[in-house]
Amino acid sequence: MSIIAVYNIKGGVGKTATSVNLAYLSSRHGHKTLLCDMDPQGSASFYFRIRAAKKFNSKKLLKGGKHIEENIKGTDFPSLDMLPADFSYRNIDIALDDFKKSNQRLSKVLQPLQSEYEQIFLDCPPNITLLSENIFFAADYILVPVIPTTLSLLSLKQLFDFLEKIGHSRDKVLIFFSMAEKRKKMHIEMMQAMQNKTGVLQAVIPYSADVERMGVYRQPVNAAMPGSVAATAYEKLWDEISVYLAS
Amino acid sequence: MHQPDTDTWFMPDSLQVSALLSVLAAEFGVAATPEYSATVVYADSFDWRLFRQGYILHCHNQAWTLYHGDSGEITVQQGGPELNRSCFARDFPPGVLREVLAPLLAVRCLLPMATVTLIGHQIRLLNRDEKTVARVVFEEQRLATAQPVFRMLRLFGIRGYDQALHTVRRILEENGVTQPASPLIGFVEGCKGEGRQPLDYSSKFTMELHAGYTARQAMVRIYRQLLTAINQNIPGVIEDFDSEFLHDLRVAIRRTRSGLSLVKNVLPTPVVESFKKDFGILGSITGPTRDLDVYLLEQDDYLARLPTTLQPALHAFFEGLALRRQAAHKKMVRALQSKKSKAILSAWKHYLTSDDQEPASAAEVDIGHLSGRIIFRRFKRVMKDGKALDAATPDAEVHRLRIQCKKLRYAIEFFSSLYPVEEIALLVRQLKKLQDILGAFNDLSVQQEMLHRSLEGLRAGSHRNLEQAAALGGLMQSLFQQQQELRGHFAEAFAMFSDPQNEALFNRLFRNRQEPS
Repeated sequence: MSIIAVYNIKGGVGKTATSVNLAYLSSRHGHKTLLCDMDPQGSASFYFRIRAAKKFNSKKLLKGGKHIEENIKGTDFPSLDMLPADFSYRNIDIALDDFKKSNQRLSKVLQPLQSEYEQIFLDCPPNITLLSENIFFAADYILVPVIPTTLSLLSLKQLFDFLEKIGHSRDKVLIFFSMAEKRKKMHIEMMQAMQNKTGVLQAVIPYSADVERMGVYRQPVNAAMPGSVAATAYEKLWDEISVYLAS
Repeated sequence: MHQPDTDTWFMPDSLQVSALLSVLAAEFGVAATPEYSATVVYADSFDWRLFRQGYILHCHNQAWTLYHGDSGEITVQQGGPELNRSCFARDFPPGVLREVLAPLLAVRCLLPMATVTLIGHQIRLLNRDEKTVARVVFEEQRLATAQPVFRMLRLFGIRGYDQALHTVRRILEENGVTQPASPLIGFVEGCKGEGRQPLDYSSKFTMELHAGYTARQAMVRIYRQLLTAINQNIPGVIEDFDSEFLHDLRVAIRRTRSGLSLVKNVLPTPVVESFKKDFGILGSITGPTRDLDVYLLEQDDYLARLPTTLQPALHAFFEGLALRRQAAHKKMVRALQSKKSKAILSAWKHYLTSDDQEPASAAEVDIGHLSGRIIFRRFKRVMKDGKALDAATPDAEVHRLRIQCKKLRYAIEFFSSLYPVEEIALLVRQLKKLQDILGAFNDLSVQQEMLHRSLEGLRAGSHRNLEQAAALGGLMQSLFQQQQELRGHFAEAFAMFSDPQNEALFNRLFRNRQEPS
């Protein structure tokens, strides 16, 4: 039983594609998996063609229990369920503030789901907020897609500083390169400089039109185009992560 | 009326799939997946170890699917071996399927139980986002052996889309899809075609007796059931699918012999004497192969007892054992197929279906009365021998006590249905603890003797034999040490069994048992 948060302070780095494809691969490997879309934009929900019920909102999420269970929906794939996001999540920090131990609320409401699901993936919104703190508290691993550029490294440093500030170890951070382009010299150099650092995974997800097209066919790339370069890269990433999950 | 748990129905003969689909298409988007067609072989151990746990396993060439029989939910789908003869859990590649199968099957192999051709296609029902909200599967199941074709429809809901499921159920009902079906009908009917039926065999002895039976009626029923077990296992012993066939065969033979010697004056003495001798012969025919089976099953444990440097020599030793076992099995098969063996079993069968010309003195006694006396006599014997047990008791005497315990166990099992279930379970549990320790002790003793004999048979002078001798020596030391440790536990194991409460229970159940009303 593990909770894996897919997180980056920056947007547009491939978080949702990563959550969707890894959650799908996890279920394909026989693990009962739940994907929680934490991003009010609801992109992961969109990819799975799932809409939250009208009555569902961030307050229900934070109440937990049956309010969550009633709103979990089955995807089109066996062993893979999803808790869709609601637009009200954009104000979730305000709702969180009402709770005692407001930085641990998410962990608390996810707790009972761990008896049903072997893996829970959290697709996180790009920011550093009280919700992020909740996510870091709840997660066993924080999986960070990084585009190999200078600015990305800066955001990584911000993440580490923040973790330190709130008293979390950086051991649970796993970094991998996303949207990497072989023809860009900076990408290559950046990856070479980083690849042997602790917590940096070897699998690299290349920039791929197949991933971008996920929005058209609305399926995980590993389901729609299992043999593609992108799908193979996600397989490798899953294999690497599952070693951590098993330990 | 809705039956929420029923998700499989027979398709009415008059209803075409296309007609039903067009009705569904008025409410949902409809996406059809390509038709599938596969002839699958359902597999289980001879004693249904998977089915007993709610699992159904089938293979289509090397593609295996394990699922829950009730829900139809697939647990795991994985590549594996061809279902040839003797397909064991260890023949599967490491992975989820093997992890599930290994503890369930243990030493038993998978056997083909039924062959069924499944032809069908899945329809996904979609909402306006083209999200799947329910699945309908049309499936035909055809048996390899017989004619009937089962046409059925299965409905699978998807979490969070209850409303859609409700709508589909309503449409099905309106179109006459109302007769519930078992999704396993092809499997069950296919087994029938092969002369099998799920759960038709268990190595556990269970016999429903009633206090009104005469002793002869009861014993004949018991012997018949044991004879059935003997006959069920012989083909597997001859084919040598797995070692449990022989084990179960020997247990059934031993139970029969125990019955003949424990229950006196119920069958005429000449009959008892003659069949005791005959079943003794069957026991000795099957002994040598079983002994070697036991060693071969211990192979991994034996290897683990030795340092890696000595393990190759032990491998060679086991290769020798495997060859000896092959020869012993061949000899045993010849003996089991001999006229003599067949004559014993058919004479016994004939006897069990005929009447005695001169009934024995206790033949008409009520079994409820007799059983208590028999069990209590065995109990007293175990108590007497057990009290003499201590850490210094010679191996042979420990062995004798073990046999006494076995006889008591068989006697209790024969007649258990005449007594309260929970109290019998308690007694058997206590007895089993004692039996386990005595059994383990005896195994260690016998194994050391065998190793010693093998050691004596090794010629000096060759390096290979020298290494093998070292391995055997190391093994003997390890077994001996474990055996000594077990001695230290005799007293406590027997103390638990002879606990005053346990003794009182024996007394109450079996000693002063009144003639049942």
